[in-house]
Amino acid sequence: MISFIRNENMKIYKRKRTWVMIAIVLLYVVLQIVNLKTAGSGATNDNWRAQLEQENVQFGKEATKTDALNIEIKQAEKHIVLNEYYLDKGIPPSTNGWSFAVSQVRNIIFAVSLISIIIAGEIVAAEFVSGTIKLLLTRSASRSKIYISKYAAAILFGLMLSVAGILTSILLGGFIFGFNGLADSYFYVKNQSVEEIPMLQALLAGYVLNIPFLLITITLAFMISAAFRSTTFSIVISLLVSLTGFIIAIAMDGWSWTKYFVFSHTDLTPYIYGNPSVDGVTLSFSLIFIGIHLAVMYLISYPIFVKRDVV
Amino acid sequence: MSLLQIRDLTKKIGNKVIVDQVTLNMDKGEILGLLGPNGAGKTSTIRMIVSLMSKSGGQVLINGTDAHANFEQTMKHVGVIVENPDFYKYLSGFDNLIHFSRMTPGVTEVRIQEVIALVGLEHSIGDKVGTYSLGMRQRLGLAIALVHKPSLLILDEPTNGLDPAGIRELRGHLTHLAQKEGVGILISSHLMSEMEIMCDRVAIMQKGKLINIYKISDMAADERTQVQFEVDRPDLAVQILQTLMSGDEITTDQRHIQVSITKAHIPEISRKLMEAGINVFGVHAVQKTLEDKFMEITGGEDH
Ligand SMILES: Nc1ncnc2c1ncn2[C@@H]1O[C@H](COP(=O)(O)OP(=O)(O)O)[C@@H](O)[C@H]1O
Ligand SMILES: [Mg+2]
Repeated sequence: MISFIRNENMKIYKRKRTWVMIAIVLLYVVLQIVNLKTAGSGATNDNWRAQLEQENVQFGKEATKTDALNIEIKQAEKHIVLNEYYLDKGIPPSTNGWSFAVSQVRNIIFAVSLISIIIAGEIVAAEFVSGTIKLLLTRSASRSKIYISKYAAAILFGLMLSVAGILTSILLGGFIFGFNGLADSYFYVKNQSVEEIPMLQALLAGYVLNIPFLLITITLAFMISAAFRSTTFSIVISLLVSLTGFIIAIAMDGWSWTKYFVFSHTDLTPYIYGNPSVDGVTLSFSLIFIGIHLAVMYLISYPIFVKRDVV
Repeated sequence: MSLLQIRDLTKKIGNKVIVDQVTLNMDKGEILGLLGPNGAGKTSTIRMIVSLMSKSGGQVLINGTDAHANFEQTMKHVGVIVENPDFYKYLSGFDNLIHFSRMTPGVTEVRIQEVIALVGLEHSIGDKVGTYSLGMRQRLGLAIALVHKPSLLILDEPTNGLDPAGIRELRGHLTHLAQKEGVGILISSHLMSEMEIMCDRVAIMQKGKLINIYKISDMAADERTQVQFEVDRPDLAVQILQTLMSGDEITTDQRHIQVSITKAHIPEISRKLMEAGINVFGVHAVQKTLEDKFMEITGGEDH
């Protein structure tokens, strides 16, 4: 099995295109840093109190706008509570490599997911397009083995690239904003009050709890790739679904129907940082809901791949 | 036990029968040709042998084991190239070879170098396959098909893209593999002349059916063939031969006489001519070619 995954990795990483895509993710991190730096954030200056108070006025306006989305109101309210906490306790908020990475985890995994769609959308279909499938399926390895090793390679690509993105955030963020802060706490608002967890725990949780999004998008692209043997179809459909899913989940946050919308369950961080946006939804509900989606996609593509004639 | 046994192998797609109850046996060390015009069902038959395609009926046994039921086990002993030799263009020839070598346990580094040398790709194995000519891809295909030392080698139209020298070289490889290493080789082609020089036996396919199997070496021995004798006095030779057979079977020109006889008669006739003081400079069998055979059987349809 290991040698099959090694083969798939060789085919992924020996293509220049893959490295261009990896570079895009790293470029995204760089742009975020440039963005923050030019906005003057990061440096703790003497009048941080005045700055936070001014921010709160701004957030107050946003939260009371008539056309504000649920999530905007919620975010603004949380910011206000957090800023008031900093003012109360006299803690100047600081940005460093670590806190920068924590703030970027979700975006990095989102970006990595879109890029992984291209890899996963090609990984089976491209073998049919190039004709290499005939050799691949006549080498004393069952089709199940080929299927599983390809799926594993696609998932591994996503997981590794996410880690690479996070590490880059810590390193580059650290060079620009400093590496101090690993011992600090990560503050967040839960039930109107401020709580804290160790920075490293926040980073790890951000990574692990956003993986469902990666899994769903990669599995979708992989499923279409294996079942329909078309790279374009797979990539285009998966990108569309993932992008709109991501946006709808944000825009419709808090609406009760999103209980049955899979992209409302692909970010599990609310289960530590606060309450899930729909009442009565539990972590196990989310996990089962995701599991069902993965299983259905698997059950559609696997039998087709294993049984169909290769012509 | 036969190396490859095919029994009543059938493929229906919709209501079209593209392979129709094909039955054939193949032994170790044998080179068997599958000959037929385009669309005869050669590739489909090969696809079914190696489970790329499901079968609608029949059975495929490799070394006595059902090839569809025990896919992984039987395919360890099979090397196959179906239709065009397609590889990963963005990888080097070497990486392609490594890729497929890894899929069968036990292929050593030494063996990999051995097959590279065998097919003569030492100098271009590090280049990207995208830069290879069709002939080079055929060579790489042969290397990949052979690297795990299969006992059954299946090549679908392996001479496409090869020049006459390349075909001669391929024939050399195949003969060596069959005779020295006992590999059974199944090759398909739509060109009769190639089949004739490469194969021990030829199975002729047409419209999905296997219509006949011939042993190339037998063809001349037990059938009447045109045999040409090069002599110094043809007119006298004709007279002598007329005492042995009726005149209408003999044709002649200034230096040759030609008769329709079986191979077994050649020594007797040569002796009679020499006894009569006629110098025989050469005996030449004008073999009935596979092409003639094919025309006879198929009635010249399709080709
Ligand atoms: N997937 C398919 N669907 C329908 N017909 C097919 C399919 N594959 C092959 N055929 C038909 O089966 C016949 C045999 O094709 P093939 O096995 O490729 O012949 P050959 O290799 O002898 O040229 C052809 O008439 C071809 O059109
Ligand atoms: Mg063919």
